[in-house]
Amino acid sequence: MAGKIEVAAAQVASNVRVAEGIFLLKLRGDYSAAPGQFYMLRAWDRNPLLSRPLSVFNLDGDGISFLYAVRGRGTGLLSRLSPGNEIGITGPLGNGWPRRDGRIALVGGGLGIAPLFYAAGVFSGSDAYLGYPDEPYLVDEFARVAARVMVSSDTGAGGTKGFITDIFDPDGYDACYACSPRPMLAALDRICSRAGVPLFVSLEERMACGVGACLGCAVRTVHGYARVCRDGPIFPSSEVMWNG
Amino acid sequence: MGDMRVVVGGLRLRNPVIAASGTFGFGAEYAEIYDPARLGAVCTKGLTLMPRQGNPPPRLWETAGGLLNSIGLQNPGIEAFIREELPRMKAQGITVITNVWGNDPGEYERSVARLCDSSVDAIEINVSCPNVSRGGPVGEDAIRTAAVVRRSRKVCTLPLWVKLPPAGGLAVARTAQEEGADAVSAVNTFRGMAIDIKTGKPVFVNVVAGLSGPAIKPIALRIVYELAAALTIPVVGIGGIGDWRDALEFIMAGAHAVQVGTANFVDPLAAVKIVAGLEKYMEENKITDWEGIRGNAQQ
Repeated sequence: MAGKIEVAAAQVASNVRVAEGIFLLKLRGDYSAAPGQFYMLRAWDRNPLLSRPLSVFNLDGDGISFLYAVRGRGTGLLSRLSPGNEIGITGPLGNGWPRRDGRIALVGGGLGIAPLFYAAGVFSGSDAYLGYPDEPYLVDEFARVAARVMVSSDTGAGGTKGFITDIFDPDGYDACYACSPRPMLAALDRICSRAGVPLFVSLEERMACGVGACLGCAVRTVHGYARVCRDGPIFPSSEVMWNG
Repeated sequence: MGDMRVVVGGLRLRNPVIAASGTFGFGAEYAEIYDPARLGAVCTKGLTLMPRQGNPPPRLWETAGGLLNSIGLQNPGIEAFIREELPRMKAQGITVITNVWGNDPGEYERSVARLCDSSVDAIEINVSCPNVSRGGPVGEDAIRTAAVVRRSRKVCTLPLWVKLPPAGGLAVARTAQEEGADAVSAVNTFRGMAIDIKTGKPVFVNVVAGLSGPAIKPIALRIVYELAAALTIPVVGIGGIGDWRDALEFIMAGAHAVQVGTANFVDPLAAVKIVAGLEKYMEENKITDWEGIRGNAQQ
């Protein structure tokens, strides 16, 4: 944990479209977070009702940033924010990735690359494996913080054509940190467990409170139901029940 | 300055704003954001005699102005609560109301008896959870409610509240009163559902889930208004309360206190902001105590 939970009003520094339907929102100010942690954001009154959980894309001296895809009303409203606008944020929330010595592979699929950028900056010397559905984005930025960047795309629009799991080989890594849609995480679980490389995954579930009180974002683990927002979002892959 | 204190069905509260069951855990999570002892009380997550793992996901679905939930009373069980949560809550100075659910009247009785032997401050009998029993909660039936309240009352030495479902009607509320309840909390979530149009199937495994949030406020307010007129015991108003104005509406409808639930998810500071808003309202309107405005909207 990287400090106390803060409920604050934050000022938008920039809100830039980085790809079709994908935006990078930067907020000015002094924030804290560990790689893999998230914040709840809201830029509206009561519609939609709930805030939106977004993992920290980056944190530096100027502020904090979040990478998001426009999926519904909430993220649509976020995409319309301009520099100087105020939004409400609560965080940092969740546990974050563990600190491990040795060579670390960061594997992201789709918007799952979001929490990996900050991780690459903090866990220096890590390699990044980025899988995109189509045209890759932010690859140059990743190249500045990661030791090596490997790219794939489903359509072949950039990098190797296919899934990132086709080109990722866990051999030689001491740990793998991953975030992506669940089927890819399940595939990574098989790949990493065969290779004997510890895998830590960032999970996603519909969330209401974000702090662990409502028990809404439950996922099945070997210890029973766990809260993505509080016990996660990072889980040792070996503890996740991948079949349900 | 006005006196924020209120006595509700035998329970003394420092103010009339209570964190609603299921939205505030056991107070530990929100304690990282503010001191829960600033609230009138914290009503715990629904407890059962034995631990319950809760319902399979998905457990949440956002609707226009509302939230459907199907948590299914996931809780560590009464013994673990008394051992691991209650001492911390009491040490923090929180007034603790325990929400309790049982499979049958006998289980309610055993649970209430066990809790009365602990340091909790009051008990809220939950006869209205929409997510654990097929065919609707006990509190939609006056005869079944009577059995639960009677058995609980017999062993309960603490203030005993009964949390009602929206579809219980006046008959169930009167039954709770006749069987010795000290207050009623109204209302629990409304039974609703959602269908995933991509699969053509209900979103929730249990089909039905509980609707809360601003969407239910006008209906909850109407029910509280009617209950306050019909009962002699106090009513605790619940349902879509988002700010101090909403809370005041319930008090003007006749509620002795209010519970804030889903609003905690909208703004983690919602409940404590309502306390501050009510305090300011009292001061600005020179209201010395709640008697001055409670039920003033009644005809």
